[in-house]
Amino acid sequence: MVGLSLVNLTKKFLGFSLGPLNLKVDDGEILVMIGPTGSGKTTVLNLISGLLKPDSGSILVDEIDITTLPVESRKIGYTFQNPSLFPHLNVYDNIVFGLTKKSRSREDSDLEIKKLLEDLGISHLTDRYIDGLSGGEMQKVSLARMLVTKPKIMLMDEPLAHLDTLTKRKLRLELRRVLRRQGVPTIYVTHFEDDVYGLADSVSVLQNGVIEHTARLESILKYQDNLSSPFLSNIISSGGGNYLEGNVVKSKDGVTTFKIGSHLLETLGDYSIGCKVGILVRPEDIILSKEMVKTSARNIVKAKVAKVSTKNAGIVDIHLIIDTFHIISRITEEARTDLQIMEDDYLFAIFKASSPQVVREEQYH
Amino acid sequence: MIGIKLQGFNVIILILSGIVIAYIAYPLVTILIFVEPSKLLDSISRPQLIDAIVLSLASATISTLLLSLFGIPFAYFLARYNNFPGKFLLRIIVIIPLVLPPLASGALLLGVFGPYSPVVQAFPEVEFTQSALGVIIAQTYVASPFMILASQAAFDSVDESYEKVARVLGKSRFDTFFKISLPLAKTGIVIGFIISWVRAVGELGATMMMAYNPHTISIQIFEDNAIGGLRKAIPDIMLALVLSIVAIIVFYIITSKRRPQRQDVTMNPK
Repeated sequence: MVGLSLVNLTKKFLGFSLGPLNLKVDDGEILVMIGPTGSGKTTVLNLISGLLKPDSGSILVDEIDITTLPVESRKIGYTFQNPSLFPHLNVYDNIVFGLTKKSRSREDSDLEIKKLLEDLGISHLTDRYIDGLSGGEMQKVSLARMLVTKPKIMLMDEPLAHLDTLTKRKLRLELRRVLRRQGVPTIYVTHFEDDVYGLADSVSVLQNGVIEHTARLESILKYQDNLSSPFLSNIISSGGGNYLEGNVVKSKDGVTTFKIGSHLLETLGDYSIGCKVGILVRPEDIILSKEMVKTSARNIVKAKVAKVSTKNAGIVDIHLIIDTFHIISRITEEARTDLQIMEDDYLFAIFKASSPQVVREEQYH
Repeated sequence: MIGIKLQGFNVIILILSGIVIAYIAYPLVTILIFVEPSKLLDSISRPQLIDAIVLSLASATISTLLLSLFGIPFAYFLARYNNFPGKFLLRIIVIIPLVLPPLASGALLLGVFGPYSPVVQAFPEVEFTQSALGVIIAQTYVASPFMILASQAAFDSVDESYEKVARVLGKSRFDTFFKISLPLAKTGIVIGFIISWVRAVGELGATMMMAYNPHTISIQIFEDNAIGGLRKAIPDIMLALVLSIVAIIVFYIITSKRRPQRQDVTMNPK
């Protein structure tokens, strides 16, 4: 069911024009909105939240027009790049700030809050003031503050942007899990390809105030060579295009084995057996060999060369088909000449267990 | 001894600082020359002086409370609503009582509240001049820039994103103001309150024009000095000095308790 609809939404500033925008986000869907700086992404979120008034058009939530409702009546969860936790309140008071006295006094409300804090791993922080929290903890508190109000829509404006890579990766995995559980439409603004792979059900590209492309992630990955949006094409290829999904079959001592088709591949980290993981492998990390070699790398698969394309001067992408999936290896033109790689050749693609990054983890229900 | 090397630049800084300190502190020391301890207690407990100090404290407190009631919302308006025609003019108007000679401010107030003014004709039974009300009017006028400017600076320092978050979390504008903007600007506002109060207590010029009687502490000092010289005014001055020191201590206690108001998520990586 469509949870959020934007219908012919427009907004003009000095020298900038947004829209007309038409967009639909289903209940439970995470739409990742990407676009260059200044393309209007934050403006879209501000219009939906009511912090800005549109010049024309409508915003519908569950088919009810909320365009003229004041901010506080919209029941929208909005997290910013900066978590903006209230510095005069402790963590608990920050989290329950959005609740009314009536809802705070309910016993089940207390239980729900407790469960949410446990779920996000921040129950031990409740009495702390926010100036002692790490960046990741702040964003979790900000997320909890938004979720306890049970918003009908969630808007997230690059909440992970300022975090270090490791925290970002961990938090992204948790975020998708939590957002999926909420089951409400989410718009997540970013310009990082990892967020696209890690969070998106669908992707919308905003360029110069206009939606250039909207599609499901599977469809984008399937047709990545023929994308109409150069910006999206660039994002997808900078992420390597090597997004693989597999099932965890073994996880021990910090090494996880997952299965894609008939192949068993290894990655670092512990993940639940049986869960589905989304993995990114950088094309630069994939070594090619004409022969089977004995190596310390844990992942070696036989592949057929589907296509050879020149990326930049001196760099070529070798598109490989491995049973049911395909990957790209990025090598130098010289290396390709040395190995005499041609289309329809069979090669061995090799990459270390430390190379694949798990960007998505989903439990089977 | 204090960890500063006595070389070139530091020597110049220390000499200049010493001159400033001496200039401010020396009058405080010299005043002790005129103090006659045997008479000090009697002089301080004079009913005239007690009345003057009570009037000053009470009127300054009322003036500052009035300024809080009207000045804080106005300061919020100046801090948050940036784009409207005439904003520059409004800022000039706010600062006028600060730059105008206090006697001139008093004269302006007499134009509004003096005999034959429309206000007095509208409320003939109210004594606007030569009364405690006159004192309050004069003090409120001259102290207003301190309250408004300090509060505006305090609201300016509060990141607007906190207010946006509060609104998105379902709070009305009133709730957001009382639960977020005001608590976060509290320190600056309290400083503004103290400075305004101190200014109101020390007010002389405008008060003389509006209400020479009943005497405030400033007028009492002025009159005692005029009639009996410095020796007669010393007890009044000592009392004013004690009040000032208490105000300074309160000011420092409050300013040293400031909490950080902004967060940067990259500041505390763990």
